[in-house]
Parts: sequence; structure tokens; C-alpha cells
Amino acid sequence: MQPRDLYTKVEDFLSDESFQRWVRFKENHTHWEEWTLESPERAKLVQEARLWIVSMKIEDTELSEQEVQISLQDTWQTIGSFQERKSIWRTHWFRAAAAILIIGAATTAYFLLQRNPTHTVITYKDLVEKDTEGLIEQTNNSNKPQLITLADASSVLLQPKSKLSYPKEFSGNERKVYLSGEGFFEISKNPSKPFYVYANEVVTKVYGTSFRVIAYPTQPNVEVVVRTGKVKVMPNEEIQSDTQEGIMLLPNQAARFVRNNLSFEKILDITQDKPLIASTNTIEQLSFEFRDIPVQQIFTTIEQAYLVKIEYPQEKLKDCYMTTSLSDEPLPEKLKIICESLGSDTRYEMNGNQITIISTGCN
Amino acid sequence: MYHTSKNTEKISDSILWAQLIADDQNAFSMLFEKYLSPLVNYGKTLMPSHEKVKDCVQDVFVDIWLYRHSLSEDVVVKAYLFSSVRKRIARLYERDRIFRQTTSLEDLEFSVRFSIEHQLITDETMELEVQQLNQLLNALPPRQKETLYLRYHQGLSLEQIAEILDINHQSVKNLLQRAILHLRKEWKGTISLLLMFSFVTS
Repeated sequence: MQPRDLYTKVEDFLSDESFQRWVRFKENHTHWEEWTLESPERAKLVQEARLWIVSMKIEDTELSEQEVQISLQDTWQTIGSFQERKSIWRTHWFRAAAAILIIGAATTAYFLLQRNPTHTVITYKDLVEKDTEGLIEQTNNSNKPQLITLADASSVLLQPKSKLSYPKEFSGNERKVYLSGEGFFEISKNPSKPFYVYANEVVTKVYGTSFRVIAYPTQPNVEVVVRTGKVKVMPNEEIQSDTQEGIMLLPNQAARFVRNNLSFEKILDITQDKPLIASTNTIEQLSFEFRDIPVQQIFTTIEQAYLVKIEYPQEKLKDCYMTTSLSDEPLPEKLKIICESLGSDTRYEMNGNQITIISTGCN
Repeated sequence: MYHTSKNTEKISDSILWAQLIADDQNAFSMLFEKYLSPLVNYGKTLMPSHEKVKDCVQDVFVDIWLYRHSLSEDVVVKAYLFSSVRKRIARLYERDRIFRQTTSLEDLEFSVRFSIEHQLITDETMELEVQQLNQLLNALPPRQKETLYLRYHQGLSLEQIAEILDINHQSVKNLLQRAILHLRKEWKGTISLLLMFSFVTS
């Protein structure tokens, strides 16, 4: 007895691959012909099933051996590039991003008056001179914030009358930059390579976050405000402070470093702290949470936040909508995410403050 | 013979799958070579662009390799692959929808034309019958067509089809039964009419 002896419906035959082969290619290894002729009942069913098969042909195209091999190579290549990226994201990069705000304020005049000879004053100049790497210095002499992109794809908005020194490449296990004045930092996430901002006597250590540092040489305090994530703030190791090991800040907490007695105070309610409230800038007020928003509007928001110009094919992108969260990404990462979401043939070029989007539209 | 070859084929799929999970690149490539064409053919019934479909199939394999250590060893490889390709294409449509801001999300629409094996037609009556049935088949709703395709063209089981279409096993059974009952009813009706007509005129 064979399974087919129990077939009672056309469907039973249709799903039998050997039956299909017999009908289509006349392969008769399993003696369908003889079996059919054994009973007239069977012959009727078989005849109907045959008609079904003849009516349901699917024209499949076999890919050429060459096409298969090219496609396989492509796939291994993509895997290779993903494994690289994955190792960056998995092992080095924090998933959770932090956002902090650091505000420093010090009046040199005030500070110098209060100055106690046992205290150390650390200036931007001291800091930069100690660094042996070739540093690049940017000074913003204009009256608008100026955008700086660092080698690790972090971005910094440098306020007027402020200076930033940073290496061309971040070698070694640390990323260190030096600030005088005020800057809004958005740091690419990399836990194996912490990012340090040296500003006056305060060192802010982060792994990947965005934050504001205001440390003018002429103001009495340095303040640090965390929006999301975790940040460590500590005094520069060259000075003696009662909080030598530094303090950890959680979202919506802040610390104020008082330069004349070299101590930290923790601010638990930033909404009640007048100097902090006054210090928020445009970029912190703009939301980067977009839900079904035309891409033009997203570009406009970026232009406002970073004071850049974005050129894009307006006609081609006019019907493109996006839902995305870009809050904790540095500018290059924001642009990359937008381009990737628009389609594989979209990319951006950045030349100083001028960004050009090259796109054929969102497919 | 046929059944044994089918069995070895199944075993070798699951052996290759297990080897792939154990980091065997060769096993990966063999499964890729074997399934690229069938998967592209299937994908093209859901999305017309050959290149896009091929990209989707490649992406499915990329994910399989990257996440191989979290894959279950206990899968029917073919059904798993079909299901992954279908999901991938659905996601692509979903993304397009976000950009185009269309108002409704249509289900993935299966569109394939069943054609006729003309060389197997032996006489006029058969040709008439086959043509009628073929027309009725092509007029079926897309879901029913896809079920027929997966069951009879790809030889997948009801359980596997249920997984691919993301509906329950009973629904697949119903889809198939409804399609076949409907076809048979319509077909017999038109055929007897047609046969009568051709008899009268001849």
C-alpha cells in the first residue's frame, strides 16, 4: 500500500511532487501510468488533477551561475562591512546616549581678587601647552556660534569669543579637547575611548553624549548640567580639591564648581537655578524628535541648530516624510541617518558650514 | 527514488543549516547558491523589481550570518527563508509608505500569472478546459493565489505556509479549500456550457 492509494481529492495529487513531475516531464519512475489505469475512479481524479497542473504553470527564471556568484560575493562583502560596524557599536559604542550641559562661569578679575596663593589656577594656555600632540586651535571671533567637526565625527558648536583646541586625529585610548569659553558638544559614542573636555580647573569625562561647557576664563564658576545619561565631572588632577574623585551626574542634575574655593556643589533641581535657566541655547530648545515630518523641515531644524546651510534637491525631496529620533547624535551622524533613511543613493557632503545633500529622491 | 531524494535534500538542508550556525562559511554559501533563484522568483511575485528583490534576499542572508548564533537549529530551512524574504519585502513597503505618506497600508499583494503548459495539451476539449481553469485561477484574490502557489508550486506544508503568511494553520486550510471549491464550481459550470456550445456548433 502506498500513500497515493489513499488519495481521494485532486488536492492530494497536486501536492505530490512526483505526480507533478510525471504530468509535466513524463517522468514515470513511480509508475503513475500503471497505477492510474488500475481503476476508472482513479483515472477520473488523475485526469482532473492533470488539468489543474497544466493550468497552473509558473514561469520561473533561473539566475545564471555568474549572477549567483556575484550576488554571493556582494553578500559576503556586506557581511564584512556590518561586522566592522557591529564591533564598533557592540563593543565600543554606548547604546544609551547622554546629554549634559556644562556651564562654567568665572570672572578672572573676581577670581584673581579672591585668589588664595595655595590654590592653583589652571588656564586654557597651561592646558594646551601640556598636550604634546599637535593641536588645532579654532577661535570664534564672529558673533554667531561656529560649527567644528572633530575626527571622531563628534560636533562642537563654539560660541563667540571662545576657543577650542583638539588633535587632528584622536590617537591612543582617550579623546581630549581643551575649551576656553563656551561650546555645545555632541560626542560620538565610544566607551573604550572616553572623551574629556578640559576647561579651566574642571575635567568632564563622557563616553558619548551632548553637553554644553561654559568656562570663560573670567567667570567664577564652572557648571555642568546633565540632560540624559551619565557624566563624570572632576577637578583637574593638578589642583587639590575636597572632591578629588569627582561626582557623577544623572539626568537633570547639575554640578557647580566654585573656582575660588575649588569645591563642587551638586544642583538637584536645575529648574530652580537661575544661572542655569538663563544659559540654554537654541540647540537645546529645538526638538530632534520627528514624527512623519517632511524632510525639508528636518533640514531647516538642523540649519537653525548648527548654523549651517543645507542645499538639497527640493523638487525631488518634496514628498519625503520621516519619523526619526536624532536627539543624541552628533551632526555627521544625524546627516548619515537622514541620508540612509532617504535611500541608498542619497549622501551628503560637508564643506565647512555648507552641507550638500545629493539625492535622487526617496524611492 | 523520488522520495529518498526528497529526504536527503531535506536532511542536507538541515545539516547545512546546523553547520552554518556553527560558523561554517561554506555551508552558508551552499544554501545561498541553492536558494537564491527560488527566493528571487518568490520575491518577484510580491515586488516587481528584480534588483530590489535580490537585495532583499541578500539582506536576509546577511542577517542570517550576522545573527547565526541566535538562530534555532530546528527550522525547515526553505520555509524559514521564504518567510524571511516576505517579511523583508513587507518592511520595505512599510518604509516606503512612511515616505510617501499614503493613507492606507495595503497588504503585500501577491501578483503572479499562472500560465498554461501548452505542450501538454492533447486536444481541443482539453484546451478549452485548461483555458477556463487558468482564467479562473488568475482571477482569484491575491491571498488565495499565494496560498496555491506556496502549496503546489513550492511544495510547502500548511504549517509552513501559515508561518510565511503569518496567519494560523486553519486559515491556510480555509484559504486553500475556498479557492479550490470556488474554482471547481465555476469551472464545471462554464465547461459544461462551453462543451454544449461547441457540440451544438460543430
